[in-house]
This record gives sequence, C-alpha cells and structure tokens, in this order.
Amino acid sequence: MSALDILMVVVRVAFSAFIPLCFIAVCVWMERRGAGFFQDRSGPNRANIFGFRAAGLVQNLADAAKLIFKEDVTSGHIKHKFYFVLAPLIVFFTAVVSFAVVPFADTLVLGGKSYLMQGIPLDLGILWFLSFVGFSVYGIILAGWSSTNKYGVLGGLRSAAQVISYEIPMGLAIVSLLVVYGTIHLNEIAQFQGQLLFGFIPMWGAVLQPLGMVIFIVAAFAETNRTPFDLAEGESELVAGFHVEYSAMKFAVFFMGEYVALFVSSAMIVTLFFGGYQVPFLSTATLINNAKPVAFLLMIAVPVAMHYFAGWIRRSNVSHYPRENDPRVFEAEIYIKCFWGLVIFLEVVLLLILFADKGGPAAHIFVMLLQMATFLVKITMMIFVYIWVRWTLPRFRYDQLQRLGWQTLLPLALLNIFVTSAVVVALS
Amino acid sequence: MADKITLFVNGVEVEVESGKNLIDAVAAAGIEIPHLCYHPALGADGNCRMCLVGIEDGRPPLVPACKTPAQAGMKVLLDAAHIKKIQHDVMEFELINHPIDCPICDQAGECKLQDYYMTYHGQPSRMTVPQVQKDKKLDFGCGVVHDQERCVTCGRCVRFCRQITKTGELGIVNRSDQARVTIFPGRPLNNRYALNVVDLCPVGAMTSRDFRFQQRVWFLKKSPGICHGCSKGCNIVIDHHREKYADDRIYRFRPRHNPQVNGYFICDEGRLSYKRENEGRLTAARLGGQPVALADALAACHDELQRTEKVVVLLSPNLSLEQMLAAREWAARHGATLSGYSDGYLKPGDGDGYLIQDDKSANRAGLLLLGIDCRRETFLAALAEAELLINCDNELERSIPAEELQPLLKGTRTILATSHDSPSASTAEIAVPVASFSEYDGAVVNCDGILQYFRKAVGKNEPLPDMADFIAALDGTAADRAGLFTALAALIPALAGQSADTVPAQGLKLNENEAAHVSA
Amino acid sequence: MGATVKTLPRKGASLKERLYLIEIVKGMATTFGHFFRNLLDNRRLYVRHYPEVQPEIPVRWRGRHRLTTHEDGSVKCVACFMCQTNCPANCIQITAGERLDGRTEKMPVKFTIDLLECIYCGYCVEACPLDAIRMDTGIFSVTGDKRSSFVLELSDLLASKGAFAEEDYKKGGA
Repeated sequence: MSALDILMVVVRVAFSAFIPLCFIAVCVWMERRGAGFFQDRSGPNRANIFGFRAAGLVQNLADAAKLIFKEDVTSGHIKHKFYFVLAPLIVFFTAVVSFAVVPFADTLVLGGKSYLMQGIPLDLGILWFLSFVGFSVYGIILAGWSSTNKYGVLGGLRSAAQVISYEIPMGLAIVSLLVVYGTIHLNEIAQFQGQLLFGFIPMWGAVLQPLGMVIFIVAAFAETNRTPFDLAEGESELVAGFHVEYSAMKFAVFFMGEYVALFVSSAMIVTLFFGGYQVPFLSTATLINNAKPVAFLLMIAVPVAMHYFAGWIRRSNVSHYPRENDPRVFEAEIYIKCFWGLVIFLEVVLLLILFADKGGPAAHIFVMLLQMATFLVKITMMIFVYIWVRWTLPRFRYDQLQRLGWQTLLPLALLNIFVTSAVVVALS
Repeated sequence: MADKITLFVNGVEVEVESGKNLIDAVAAAGIEIPHLCYHPALGADGNCRMCLVGIEDGRPPLVPACKTPAQAGMKVLLDAAHIKKIQHDVMEFELINHPIDCPICDQAGECKLQDYYMTYHGQPSRMTVPQVQKDKKLDFGCGVVHDQERCVTCGRCVRFCRQITKTGELGIVNRSDQARVTIFPGRPLNNRYALNVVDLCPVGAMTSRDFRFQQRVWFLKKSPGICHGCSKGCNIVIDHHREKYADDRIYRFRPRHNPQVNGYFICDEGRLSYKRENEGRLTAARLGGQPVALADALAACHDELQRTEKVVVLLSPNLSLEQMLAAREWAARHGATLSGYSDGYLKPGDGDGYLIQDDKSANRAGLLLLGIDCRRETFLAALAEAELLINCDNELERSIPAEELQPLLKGTRTILATSHDSPSASTAEIAVPVASFSEYDGAVVNCDGILQYFRKAVGKNEPLPDMADFIAALDGTAADRAGLFTALAALIPALAGQSADTVPAQGLKLNENEAAHVSA
Repeated sequence: MGATVKTLPRKGASLKERLYLIEIVKGMATTFGHFFRNLLDNRRLYVRHYPEVQPEIPVRWRGRHRLTTHEDGSVKCVACFMCQTNCPANCIQITAGERLDGRTEKMPVKFTIDLLECIYCGYCVEACPLDAIRMDTGIFSVTGDKRSSFVLELSDLLASKGAFAEEDYKKGGA
C-alpha cells in the first residue's frame, strides 16, 4: 500500500465522517434562520463573540456550550439505564455510518489506480443505506421503551409503526429505480445520471422516475421523522415523544443524530434522483477534458458572484435602528474582506489548474473537488427543501399518516414498478 | 305559643304571631321592614322614621312599624310609591351629614346604612353645603371608640346603658344636626357589657378598639359557637378567617341570640376570650420538656401506662360531655380513679346575676351530671397513692398553688393533655396538645341545666386531636364520636332519640330528675 | 330569533385538492415568497429590535403597580381592602393600622403584591375608591433572581413614579 493509497483512505474517511458532522451546525443554522425568514421574523442572531455574530452561527456555539454544561438527568424511575444511554448512540451512529457508501465524487484515477470516492468502498450501495436507516428506528423505539414514560412509549410505538408503513413504499420506489439503473452501486447510479437524454436533458432519476422520486422523498421525510411526519415527537400531544426523558448531552446526541440523518437522507435523494455529484450537463470525462476552460470560466464567475454577495452582506448586516457608529457595518466589512480573501485563494488555485498539464492528475483532482462542491451544494438545497416543507406543512394526524402510507404510496409504488418494468422491457 | 293572626302585607296574606310589633311579626315571615333605632332587646323608640309603613283603610295612613302592634286583618303597605318615597327621603336625610368613611370604617360590610342605601336610596348626594363636622375617634372607655360623624342618633347605645346595664353612661346632647352621643365629662363607659354597644350600633359610630382595623368583616367566616368563659354558656358567633399563607385565626366573638340562655348580649370578658384561642396554645407535643412528634408522645404515653398500676385521671370542667364520657369509660376500663377537682375555676362573688357567673368553667354541670367526683379530699387521697396522673386539660395550679402542688406531685408522673401552654406543660413528663373548644364538636351543660351542642368552627392547618381522640389513643384506637353521642343519649333521657344534628339551637333544658338519674 | 347560518363550501373534496401535491406546492410557494423577500431585504422583517428599541407604552397599559401619594409624600391608600377583595388572583395582602398624620384614621402598615401571582387584570385599580393604586408605571417587564424579589412591599410600591402626565392618565379613562 503506497503513501498515496493511505492518503486517499484518510481523505475519503475524513470526508464521509466529518462532513455530516460539520453540516449539523449548518443544518441547525439553516433551520432556525430559515424558520425565522419563513415566518417574517429574524431567528437567532444575537449571540456573538466580540461582536461577531456570523449571521447567527455563533448561536450554535452557545447552544453547544449550554448542552454540554447542563445537568445530565437520568430519572430514578428508569430501570434499564444501559439501553437508555444506548438509544441515542444508535440513532447517531447509524445516521453517520449510513453516509459511508454515498459517493461524493466520481472514481478518481491517480497514478493509474482508481479510487472509489466514498467512505467505505463497499459494493452494497443502496442496501447498506436501507439497512442502517431501518436500524436507526431501533434507537427511537429503545429510547421510548427504556424511558419508562407513557409519552416516550407512545412516541416509540408511533415511530415503529411509521417505519414499517414507509419502508415498504421506499423500498418499492427503489426497486423501480434499480430496474432503470440496473445496479445497486451508488457510484454507478451517479455515473448513469451523467448521461444526457435526447442529447440535452440530464438523465437524472427525477426525469426518468418522477413518481418514484415523489414516493421516495415522501418516505424519506417519514424515515427522518421530519414534519409533516414527526409524530414520534408530536409536542402537541406527546410533550416530546420518545426523547421526553432525555436531557443535556443525551438529548444533544439525539438532536445531532436527527440532523445527520437529515443530511444523509438529502445526500441519498440527490444521489438517486438529482445526479449525485454530477455537474449538470458536464459528465466527468467532459470535465477532465475541458478542465482549463471550466477553470477559466470559474475564475470570472466567482469574483462576479462575490461582488453581488458582498453587496448583500453590506445591505443585510446593519442595525435596523438608529445607532451611532454602527458596529455591524464594521462587522460586515470584516466578513466581506474574509470572503474576498477566500475568493483570492480560489483564484490562485484555479490559476494553477490553468497552468497544469491537460488531463493530468491536477485536472482529475480539480474535477473531484468540483464534483464534491456540486454534491454539497445539491445536498444543501435538498436540506433547504426539508426545512421549507417543515415550516409550511402542518403535521399529519396519525390515521392520515397510515392511510397515506398504505393506501396511496404503496399502490403507487407497485404501479410504478409495473410501468417501469414494462417500459424497460419494451425498450430493450 | 302565641296565637296566630292573619294580616296582609302588600296585599299578600301573611300569618304572623300576635302580640308583637309589625317589624318583628312580619320579619318572622321573611319580610323586612327597614329600621335603625328599633332593637327587640331595647324596645321601640320611634326616632329614626325608617320603619314608617302605610296602613290601608282607616287608622292614620302612616305609622311607625316598631310602635304598631300587629293586628288581625291589618293591611300593611310596604312597596307603595309614597312609602318608597318616605324610605328614600329618610335615607337621604340620614346621609346628609354622614361622612363617606366606608373605606376606613370597620362596620362596612355589616352596616345597615350601607344596606339601606343600596336598597332604598342609591342616589348621589344633592347637598351643596359643607357637612357638619363633629368629633371622631373618641375613646369612650371599655375599648369602645366612637365616631360622632357616623352616628345616626338612633339611641340604641344610650338605651342599652340605661335599660340593660342600668349604668347610664351615655346620652345624646344638643339638638338637630348638632345632636351627638357622648359621655359625661370624665365618666367613660364603665360596665362589663359595654362592648355590646358596638354590635348594637347599626352604623359604624361605635367600633371596638380591639377589632379596629384588624380585618374587613366580609372576609370573616361566621361560625356559631358557645363561649367557654363561664358556666353561662353564652351563644356566640365565632368570626374567623384564614389569611393566605397563614393559619385559621379567630378575629372576634359576637353574641348570638338565644332567648333561653343569653338573650342578645355577652359580657366583654367572654367577648375578648377569643384571644386565648389564638395565643398561648400548645402546638407541639413534649417529652420531658422537649418538643417531639405527636405520635412519639402518644407512644410514650402507651409505654407509661404499661408500666404503671395506679392511675388518676383529672378532668377539666371545660371538657365537653363526650370527652368526659370517654374519660369516664376509659377510667372504668383501666380501674383508674377519676376526678373532676377544679375548685380554682370558681371565683366567688364575681357573678352579677345577669350573664356573668362565679363559675369560670363551661361544663361543671356536665361533670356532676356524669357523676364524676369533684371533691378535693378524694382527689388528694388518690393523688397521694397514684403513680401516674393523666391530666385532661385541668389547670391544676388554679386550684392548688404551685408551691403546694410540687410536693403533692412528688413520686407521681404526669401526662398532661392540654390546649394551652403553661409552666406545667414544661414540667410534665409528657405533654400532648389537644384542640380547644373552637376546634371540636361537643355538648356542654350550663349553670341553668341547659344542654347545648356546638360545632367545630375553626379548622387549623394542622388540626390537633380533640380530648376524646387523645383518650382513645391511650388505648391505641380512634375515638368513636357517634358512639359517644349514642352513649350520652342513653344516659340523658332528654337526649333520647336525638342526634347531634337535631339538638335544638336554643339548647335542651334538663330537669332535676334527669340530672339525678344520670349520676346514679 | 335564529342565528344567521352561513354555509361555507367544504374544501378538499375536488380531485385537484385530493391530489394534495398541487396544494402543497401552492403552500410552499407562499412560504418561499416570504422567505425570499426576507432573505433579500431583512429590514422588512416584522420584528422589533428589543431591547434597543423599546415599545411605546400607551397610557392605558396595565404595567407594574404603584401606590400614589399626596403632595406631601404620604400614602393615599387608607387600607380599605377593596383591591384585596376584588383581586381574582388573590395576590394583594394588606395589613391595616392606625394613621396618626391627621389625614384620616387608617392606613396600610403592610401592603404586598406578589407579582408572580398577579394577572395584571387591573381590577385593583378599578376598585380603589381613592385612586391610591395605579398601574401606570410603564414597567412591563419585571425580572428578579429569586421569588422574594417579585413580592413588592409598601416601600417599593411607593417608590415608583407614574410614567405619564396626570392629564393623559385621566384622559386614558383610568
């Protein structure tokens, strides 16, 4: 095993382990500020360090500090303390691990060797994801049961019933997808979506399987316990559902697990239906061949975008009331300078690409980075959709939830399999 | 029983007792004729004109109801327009010089003038001239504070001092709007019933210094009770109230009408005896002078009884019949000597032949009724032999001076169940707090042989056991109140067939034969 | 007289509505409109930048209580207990005593309001026959670090001043 091999292992594991964790902060921040903006209020934007609020991101630090230093209560009536502690760990662990098979860039060819760009180079692909997502609900059920609390038990039971109802349509939606893609390997699925349909439409899952996409997304919402399917928490009737007895860091682990699951779920939706890491219209091969023009275009586009972004920061980051020597104007200038510094760094990197060999390792790495960035942008947009739905739709009633799962999604998924199979057989 | 006659009020036929004046007669039928100066105990004066009523056909068309005997066939007009006008105008007249002192007046809430204003007047004053200024906050002695501005010169207080106490300290001087009630210079109220003028006064002119500003009357819960100050057993209203975050507390005693016992009044001493119910109470049990939990003290009593043979039970003459009976039964079961020795409760020469009695205990007649030995010799003889004295709230130091008592109690251990803290509560081996008379139900027999039943009035936050409970707890059981009353009814023929609820409010008169029958 | 009956058409029965997705998209478009507007220009958020920007307290606002005084600073209250009697939350506790300054006979010796129990209904102000208690301090936020700091004593109630001009307060219809 060469040094390059080891480096690549480190890079891949680091990416698939730390990116979901880093995105917890981003998710929480997006959720809160997004909720604020959806509801015409501002969301948390007061916490600051030396006056720097980072648009509310500092609030996450404050929350983290609070959760760490809070008293970690384990009520005396809880008999199975081991399971009680284990439950949040299961939720968190399964969420992180299920990201391991998601490819975040196309196979990297370096020095004649190809590296699969995913945390664990397994061929299990989508099955790995399904199994771990299914397993994460055990954490919730275990939490509800070991809390010895009727609200907790009700939350856990709801969650169990919900998972049974929605795993089936989800699995069936994936079946029809597999019929189209002909593989369970997520990297191959992503590569498949890099093709163009009729020469101008990206061959994304969303285009080939629109019904499957709707079913899968709905089921994914249910699997992640997000509104409108968050009946396991159900504040209005169950206080906090399965995590009613959890406090401090044990609660925080649940909380983080949920946001990791949100991230992974988004990544899965992107991989299956929105081309994964593929840059729209530009397949990996095209990108590698045209690395220099793309880099050149980016060199122009990034400063232009930054210019407008700087204007937006300047407009937004001011005090909305009369204030002498508004410190937030100064704050905004600092942010803008930081971002310009980042842009300059990017420009330098792009410049290096321009002067590198055509089709050499530099081009490969450049494409990899570009695809990673594309992937993260797509995931962020999907997370935004999750948040957007949460702050738009009310929660389902429990019977409505079950009826939707069994009487609507399940027949539709079956129908989708028949139609898809028929079309695939007819075309081949 | 007086004869019934029929008359008409506002055209409605009403059956009333004959031989009464109109106010009392129709009041019994539930019809109120407003009046300020008339009081059934003081007779009609006819000066306030508030009770003017119309009589249809013949007769003078307007008569004061207090001066008019009810007669058969009378047609009384109360709500005719001209009568209403009279009531309205009399009220306006009364209020011309009445200050708007209601916010600071203790009478507010039980003030006739307030009630009548709301019922019969309800208009703002039309007066433009300044009100007549008189003296306020005059000390009339005996704890009576007088406010001349509030006075409506009905003269009830004056008549009370002349007719009831026959001391005549008060009088009305001057005329018209300068008329005022006052004392003779340097001769304040000086009688033992003076505070009754506070109750008599229909307005806030007479207030009690003791109750002054203590509480607003509408907060007070008014529970009926029997005064335990002396053997007369006057009927009282116990005005008590539990303030937020505090304990139920008695604010005052007021007389309650009982023609068989005390009429309309009580003495000042009895009136102020409510303080003893609030203060100086023993609230925690003591074991060797140290405060302990009640259960521990009762357990200690139990141990003590296991060890000893010769026991003397000393009863207080203030206990109720049920409590005495419980003690008598207990003593009979355990072969203990029972005594009611309490000569110290007698204050010869203190009684005045009206309400105040020589005997300052509430139920000495009950002791005798139950045949309990009250003689000094037998008690001292029993005490000399006894190993253990169970003292049921008898204040022994009243009968025997402390220095004489000490040698007598040598070699005798004492269990004291008492409602009030005293030096003997600290010296007794075991002291157990018990409820006082405002906190339990029971029957007492007064000096005239009238048995009266009273109810628990005050509910303390931490209720103390009543004496019957304590006696039952000596055996480790709970007191059977219903059983005690049944046993009592079996002993006293007058109580036969009665339950605690059916004992008449005026009390049961026991005759000599009955008393003799029981003691056997 | 019968009530006017207005029958509203029941929604959600048509096929378009039963498909649900279309309605979801419509709803999401609405919320996104708000989001996008606020993202572009956060000056249009419907928020007050409290505590830097304080709300304007109207005269009729029922704020923290105070006891009013005569010109010479003596308390107007005569301890008539009207406020305590009327208080639905039972948060006022008065102890009355003799008044010796010649104005009247009675005054409060103790007057406590437990702000944790108070529901700010203003009945005490309406009940007061002497305009001795008012809720015109303009204090709308009471903070403390222990329970006892929310129990206002007579001195606390006398210490605070009214936040409004006398004629404005009277006009406010107290």
